[in-house]
Amino acid sequence: MAMYKSKKFRGRPFCIVTIVGASLLLLFYLISPSSSSSKAQKRPPPAIGGTKSISHYRLDGLQSTWRSFESHERVLILTPIARFYDEYWNNLINLNYPHELIELGFILPRGREANSALLRLEEAVKRLQTGTKKNRFAKVTILRQDFDSPFSQSEKDRHALSGQKERRAAMARARNSLFTTTINAGISWVLWLDADIVETPTTLVQDLAAHNKPIIVANCYQRYVDHGENKIRAYDFNSWQDSDTALQMAKDMGDDEVIFEGYAEMATYRALMSYQYVAGNDIHEEIQLDGVGATALLVKAEVHRDGAMFPSFPFYHLIESEGFAKMAKRLGYQSYGLPNYLIYHYNE
Amino acid sequence: MFSMMNGNPFPHTSQTFNISPHRFQPRSKSQFLRRHPSKRLVLVLCSLALLFFFFPTLRTLAVPSLGTSLFRDDPLITTVHHYDLSKSAGTGRGWEREERVLMCIPLRDAAQHLPLMFSHLRNLTYPHSLIDMAFLVSDSKDETLLLLNTLLERLQSDEDPHQRFGHIDIFEKDFGQVVGQGFSDRHGFAAQGPRRKLMARARNWLLSASLKPEHSWVYWRDADVEVAPPTVIEDLMRHNKDVIVPNIWRPLPDWLGGEQPYDLNSWQESETAIQLAQTLGEDAVIVEGYPEYATWRPHLAYLRDPYGDPDVEMEIDGVGGVSILAKARVFRQGGHFPAFSFERHAETEGFGKMCKRMGFSVVGLPHYVIWHMYEPSVDDLRHMAEMEQERLRKEKEAQEAAGKEKTGGAGSAAAVSDSGESPLKESSREKDPLEMYENGEGFLDSVRAAELRAAKQVAEEMKKQQLAMEKAKAEEAAKKAGAARGSGSKDAKGAKAAKNPAR
Repeated sequence: MAMYKSKKFRGRPFCIVTIVGASLLLLFYLISPSSSSSKAQKRPPPAIGGTKSISHYRLDGLQSTWRSFESHERVLILTPIARFYDEYWNNLINLNYPHELIELGFILPRGREANSALLRLEEAVKRLQTGTKKNRFAKVTILRQDFDSPFSQSEKDRHALSGQKERRAAMARARNSLFTTTINAGISWVLWLDADIVETPTTLVQDLAAHNKPIIVANCYQRYVDHGENKIRAYDFNSWQDSDTALQMAKDMGDDEVIFEGYAEMATYRALMSYQYVAGNDIHEEIQLDGVGATALLVKAEVHRDGAMFPSFPFYHLIESEGFAKMAKRLGYQSYGLPNYLIYHYNE
Repeated sequence: MFSMMNGNPFPHTSQTFNISPHRFQPRSKSQFLRRHPSKRLVLVLCSLALLFFFFPTLRTLAVPSLGTSLFRDDPLITTVHHYDLSKSAGTGRGWEREERVLMCIPLRDAAQHLPLMFSHLRNLTYPHSLIDMAFLVSDSKDETLLLLNTLLERLQSDEDPHQRFGHIDIFEKDFGQVVGQGFSDRHGFAAQGPRRKLMARARNWLLSASLKPEHSWVYWRDADVEVAPPTVIEDLMRHNKDVIVPNIWRPLPDWLGGEQPYDLNSWQESETAIQLAQTLGEDAVIVEGYPEYATWRPHLAYLRDPYGDPDVEMEIDGVGGVSILAKARVFRQGGHFPAFSFERHAETEGFGKMCKRMGFSVVGLPHYVIWHMYEPSVDDLRHMAEMEQERLRKEKEAQEAAGKEKTGGAGSAAAVSDSGESPLKESSREKDPLEMYENGEGFLDSVRAAELRAAKQVAEEMKKQQLAMEKAKAEEAAKKAGAARGSGSKDAKGAKAAKNPAR
């Protein structure tokens, strides 16, 4: 009895110290990053010596044609994402363009709201990329913005005119950060697909590419229930043909002012693609556009490579995707739209 | 005692309320039991820690949510990559923080400049492993690509691992050339607009194909730079500006003044230029340094003071492309080289304008100079040839004069002519300096090289003339001899020799 006691008193502090020490050690190893990424990011240099890490590409051979599917052209699908919808994800993985020819790129804003989206996205990506080989995408890049987005993302806030300029500018910067870092030498097409697009035909990529246009956009609608009836309504007003009124407005504006579409305060009388949808008409009917929305926008990679980006500043009094269409036009690329080819936006 | 005899003094019956354990248990026993699990716990924890230490990949398995919430790559999934762009923001002390630099070098018919360029690359003091390089070889008819490949292979297999660079991308793409690459072609006024737009496209293709999320800085550098400090990247980076350029000058032959401002594309905007821009059409491109567009802008190049503080900064609106250091976020957020007329400017000048529009800082260093190579114009070449001929003529005269003197005082004249010849002999014994210059070695500068080249050409031409004269003389002599001999006997050889000049 006495022996036990004395041993107990001598052994106890040692035990406690070791337990605490061991658990701290364990915690430290668990939490400390697996690669020392505490400073700047340093992925390459890969394999110094053996391969000499010299790569050689012929950009001349790169093509983007209407037979994208058969000539194995690589598609980069880009999505700025602040909220994760399962419908979006399911729709994305159901696209039947060969997944081994698709690279994905996501960019998330900073802040707590996006963290939950990140977690769910991570989970979904992980499940897919470790799942059946056939369904896996060639490459997935997930980026975190290096600047703060100015506004919260509730539907009402998003559409208030007052915050439009800052919100769209931040969106433009996010889009630019995404495509400039993910377009590599092998990409032929870039598909901009917004995170709240929940329903598209599974042949979206082939259908849009078949038109063989430098820039082409589908018509974005929204499903809703009215008195128990399923209906659809126009949603994205950024795809339009210019009007004299709008051009005159632009002329009278100050350098830093921007025209936004879809607000009563700014009646532009532009011909919106949203209202040119006729149920039952040919879905492959094309129209020329002067401004485009980026909800489901297929762009030949050469347009971006030439320098067409999403202006975060007023460019001919236009910003973001509308400004993009204008800049592409200045570079000699015409934008097109498919008024009868519908894709659907999430309904909050 | 009685418990041992009778068992429980309070025997159970079905009626009694029973809470187990209902009898006293000694504390020491539980203490004993507690001690062992604690030992086991220590053992388990220690072995787990060791296990995770040796197999770091197991960590994410143990705590799955932890792995994802910290935004980093899963080592088991090779196709998914994460980047926090705020970690590639770029700071003033990039070499200490291991910030990666993307070095973009556009090349076109640049084979002759490559050896010198590679000697510059080797000398760079910024840690080479942090520098990724991207080359665009476009519309080249010489061996640019071949030579580039050999030089890169040699560089990347250097014995000294600190010499080796990070990843290297070589892109090939022809854009179709509007004008030739000769100095006079490139610098003609009419050619400027379309030429600048094409070069802008080339720059954008190069950047978009090579920029990766891990890059913090982008350094644009032309191949035809003659002298640049090896610390140039750090020197520019220290200012911690979004876009920064040094002053670009070029050396000239003495008879043209010795040196000259070269890059006139770095300037501050002026009222005159803004008014001029308003009078021009949407697609017009204002270019600097031509009397057609008198802009009265303050140019970075003209503000140089050779003894000025190299750290002095100047806000500018247009930038030149010889050596630009920019934060990668400028390009990530959409800054690029307009291949269209952006506010009446294109390419690098348009880039400066666009960066300003996007709210980035654009700065030039008037007293920090990088020397561009001297490429003689057609007029310069003609003048150089004339000068060389003049020099040779004078030398000949001097020699003749010396020869006359020789007849007078033989001893002293011989000594003079000896000392005059000896340096020539010495230099011919060593490697040809021009050849060394073309291999990126030696101490020759582009001006001296151009002069030597001109001299060589003149010498060759004179040699040719002399040869032709000698040949003609020899033929004449042969003709005479043939005629003289032919009159006597019908020699076949003589007839052939006589026929030859007739042909």
